[in-house]
Amino acid sequence: MVHVLRSELLRLRRPSLIGSWLGLTGMFAVLINTAMFQFVADGQTEGGPGATFPTLDELIAPTGLVAGLGAAATFFGVVTLAFWAMTAATDYQTGLIRLLASTEPSRWRLLGGKTLALALWTAAATLLALVLCVLVAPIAAEGAGVSTDAWRDIAAGDIGLAWLHLYAACLVWGAVGLALATITRSAAVAISVGVGYVLVVEAVVSAIVSDLGDWLPGSTLTALAQGGTAEVSFGAAAALGLFYGVGGLLTAGIVQRRRDVTD
Amino acid sequence: MIDAPTAASALTTTGLTRRFGDLTAVRPLDLDLPAGGIIGLVGPNGSGKSTLIRMLLGLVRPSAGTATVLGSPLEEPRRFLHRVGALIEGPAFVPALSGRANLLSLARLRGLPASRVDEVLDVVGLTGRDREPVKRFSLGMKQRLGIAAALLPDPELLILDEPTNGLDPSGIVEIRALLGRLGREGRTVIVSSHLLSEIEAVCDHLLVIRFGELLYTGPIDDLMRRAHATVEVRPEHDDDAPRLLTALTDAGFAVDGDLRVRAAAGDTAAINRTAIEAGITLRHLAAHTDSLEEVFLQMTGTDEDLAAERGATAGRAA
Repeated sequence: MVHVLRSELLRLRRPSLIGSWLGLTGMFAVLINTAMFQFVADGQTEGGPGATFPTLDELIAPTGLVAGLGAAATFFGVVTLAFWAMTAATDYQTGLIRLLASTEPSRWRLLGGKTLALALWTAAATLLALVLCVLVAPIAAEGAGVSTDAWRDIAAGDIGLAWLHLYAACLVWGAVGLALATITRSAAVAISVGVGYVLVVEAVVSAIVSDLGDWLPGSTLTALAQGGTAEVSFGAAAALGLFYGVGGLLTAGIVQRRRDVTD
Repeated sequence: MIDAPTAASALTTTGLTRRFGDLTAVRPLDLDLPAGGIIGLVGPNGSGKSTLIRMLLGLVRPSAGTATVLGSPLEEPRRFLHRVGALIEGPAFVPALSGRANLLSLARLRGLPASRVDEVLDVVGLTGRDREPVKRFSLGMKQRLGIAAALLPDPELLILDEPTNGLDPSGIVEIRALLGRLGREGRTVIVSSHLLSEIEAVCDHLLVIRFGELLYTGPIDDLMRRAHATVEVRPEHDDDAPRLLTALTDAGFAVDGDLRVRAAAGDTAAINRTAIEAGITLRHLAAHTDSLEEVFLQMTGTDEDLAAERGATAGRAA
């Protein structure tokens, strides 16, 4: 597994790939903080598709400093899904899977090493989001006239927990992207299906069957990233997140294990 | 030079079969390929060569049958894949990474040191160009990189699919020399190619398949004994052709209407003497032996023959 991980980490070291990944994550971190404080200060509570804004009371609380992470969790998640899917699909699209599978006979190890490598880069991307959030939030709050007095009292553990929640949610998004890419062997199709599901399908299903909405991946992972919501407790979100994440990895592993490499 | 081969046979198969739905890509195949030397794998498009190679590398599961690779069972690829290098259906790399980084990632996957990358880059002549992104490589350079990747594990068995594809003439000569050297070092090299002249130039042993069925396996020299040898003759005056045909036939030669004599190159003197004795001067006397390509086509048929045969098979199945 260590050999696979080291090999994957080297293959991921592509400036265009990592630059886009970190760049998009950073852009969302800055944008969400800039918009969120202004919108909430103006009394607007709807964040639009993919964004869930906190209340003003939540923003002025100590954890308001890192509220942007949870508010844009779906954006960060979709970016993670896209890059995990892109990385997995590239192996099929370039034919590299032939070389990899004829070198390392265990497809589970191949998948495990890739997952670990992507998880490490996901940690880096979410850490960047956290850093940008901490840097931009005070400026954005100041501009929107939101009090930041209580933010000085935030505990380091709360900052770490906010990152951990986002990271956990992103890992599940990534696992879903990995599964979609392994099944479709196409980055474009996998990303389209993933993004289309979150922005369209889940919204429609939630509107039709409101009871079901809280159990679907989008809502669940948003709740996980925010450390639980009024609708979905953190425990339920973590359990469902684990279910979706493990389900995604198992699906990817079984498909990769059983499928002949004919590309 | 590698250590003595660990198995007497590089490859054995017993009833190895692969079906894709109704299509049988590889029919029950019984093979015993010797360890050491260069083996040519030839067959028309769609003959099952790629499927056979993929089965041997654990990429495609057989539908039936058994096989051993370097003495280890096919179902246990971990026992032999570290001794096998392969270039399958063209080189596949991450385009944005340098040639060196691509090889390094594969070396890491095998647990090999970075110094091995330098060695194989040197062998294929890519030292100095290895830090450029693969997307800037020509087809020939990618092909060399693919061969370098296959050489990484210092393999006992090397499987190369169309290794000279995209190479310029000097590159072809270099790769041909490399294959010869690898074969002489005691490795088993399986070369799949459409270029039969390439196969004829480098291979000791041949494996011919068509429609997934084995047509021939054995030393290439044995196969070439099946080659037809003819001597083409032309009289100085065209009017003498019937007399020449009669004289040659009377002398015991098998001659067709186009004055092609079924005879080896060593018989040209006797043919010439027969013509002179009949009072005919020859303006053309040329010996010709079928090339591997011609022998191959006699065995497998032309593309048109294959299309007709496939159509007939499909018709019968319907």
